[in-house]
Amino acid sequence: MTDIALQTRGLGVKYGTFHALAEVDLQIRRNSVHSIIGPNGAGKTTLFHALTGRVRASSGRIELDGRDITDTSDDDRVRLGIARSFQVTSLFPNLVLRENLRLAAQGRTPWQALAPWRRAESNAEALAIADEVIQRLELGPVVNRLAGELSHGQQRRLEVGMAMAARPRVILLDEPTSGMGIDDIEAMKQLIRDLGRDHTVLFIEHNMGIVMNISDVVTVMRLGRKLVEGTPAQVRDDPEVQRAYLGNMITGDIA
Amino acid sequence: MNPLDKPWAQLALALLTVLILPLFLKSGILATEILIFAMVVAACNLLLGYTGLLSFGQGIFFGIGTYAAGICLTRWSVPVPLVLAGAAVLGAATATLVGWLSIRRQGVYFVMLTLAFSQLFYFIAYTFSGLTGGDNGLLGVPRPSIGGTALDAPWSYYTYVAVCFVAVFALLVMVTQSTFGRTLLAIRENEGRAAAIGFPTRLFKIEAFAISGAVTAFGGALHAMLIGVAPLSNIEYHTSELILIMTIIGGSSSLFGSVLGAGFYLLLADALSTVWPRWLLLLGLVLVTVALFLQRGLWGLVERGYDLAFRRERAPETPAEEH
Repeated sequence: MTDIALQTRGLGVKYGTFHALAEVDLQIRRNSVHSIIGPNGAGKTTLFHALTGRVRASSGRIELDGRDITDTSDDDRVRLGIARSFQVTSLFPNLVLRENLRLAAQGRTPWQALAPWRRAESNAEALAIADEVIQRLELGPVVNRLAGELSHGQQRRLEVGMAMAARPRVILLDEPTSGMGIDDIEAMKQLIRDLGRDHTVLFIEHNMGIVMNISDVVTVMRLGRKLVEGTPAQVRDDPEVQRAYLGNMITGDIA
Repeated sequence: MNPLDKPWAQLALALLTVLILPLFLKSGILATEILIFAMVVAACNLLLGYTGLLSFGQGIFFGIGTYAAGICLTRWSVPVPLVLAGAAVLGAATATLVGWLSIRRQGVYFVMLTLAFSQLFYFIAYTFSGLTGGDNGLLGVPRPSIGGTALDAPWSYYTYVAVCFVAVFALLVMVTQSTFGRTLLAIRENEGRAAAIGFPTRLFKIEAFAISGAVTAFGGALHAMLIGVAPLSNIEYHTSELILIMTIIGGSSSLFGSVLGAGFYLLLADALSTVWPRWLLLLGLVLVTVALFLQRGLWGLVERGYDLAFRRERAPETPAEEH
């Protein structure tokens, strides 16, 4: 077993003639918290799409635990252990919170769900996982509310919970704190740090406070390419990062 | 959730319908037709209401069931239960094919594809008149017989269809309550997310098509035996449209809504057509009304009525703690 959970070599994605992502080499260490930062349009979300299989890589390769998954479909990748949350909240708005998580837990074994005679409640494991995630995210009081009726902070937490319920080895979080209030952000920070203990966490974030605080490694991207990579301190002090485009964007403290 | 939407309530309502129709209707043929369309419309609802797929292809499956019964019964006198099973299998196979090709596109293009298939199958049926009888259809389709006596009396055939209807409706309720049915709801709600959490959504949609096609063809076969003909009109685009209209009038949020939709349409058509030959015009007005004011269909009306009658003092929703 290598120490690298997820790795890309020369990964590129083209939308038409536009190179959204080019020559990206990434090595995500197991059980680490790895963040991706960069200005809008740097290709961060496209990188996530490529890693989860939502878009196909047009060049390069992706390996999960040393296994080539470049041509594996998105739903197959979930079964191999990659799960994600979305930048723009993407839930099942007319289903209750618990059902959202039950579905996410069931997604690991979707073939079971093809049997039209099997009752949803017969999958006790999925229900148990859903309840566990509910506890961990402290969403207990609203389990029977429609996901669409939850507050923004609750929806964002559920969004992360959907990825957790798949029991992934590698969990990809796309701006988990976007639009959150200050208290919620602190809770999310704790959660991501916790997740890093038993998962490999890769996350995109604009909140430098969080990035600098809890990341083991930070990758800076620009124009679809990897610019700099290193520990938070290295990245923050990197003259190229500062001068080139982040300017004084990096203001967060390193705890 | 409204208590009327619970599976047992739905099943009880279906049983009630079967028992009530003979008390209120003089014509056993009309009552039987209502039950046949009720199951066919419920099958359409599985696609429209549960999966979010507006299929104009339901007439294909209905027609295929009709022809399966027509051909098997007039040429080879195959036992009826076998014909019904065969029709369902054939319907499922055709629906799998049509579904497999159509769901490659989404939204309007999906609808156009089902429409195109609908036309295609109509012309196939029209062209191969040696098999289908073309414009004339297949005449002299016999009714089933039990213990040597043919169920020629309308009400005895009604009983036969009623048993089939209850069984099929129970099956559909089971499907919608299953983990499969609940995954369909997830796909309808947010297909991208359903795929992202690991569901091969295309496979689920194809299976929904297959089940819908099986039930629709089953209904088509029963219909051929009801009217004693396997007409070309059963595979026409118009049939697809009819099934869809009944589904929408009934409301697509519950299976029993489809029974209401079928019943309402056929009873109204029966009543209006004796009053005025241009009754379709009035039906158009009804549809406009439903589309403008009753977007959840007749079933939405029933739910509202139930709430007014029994849950006037609805327990105030416990305000959940906001975070």
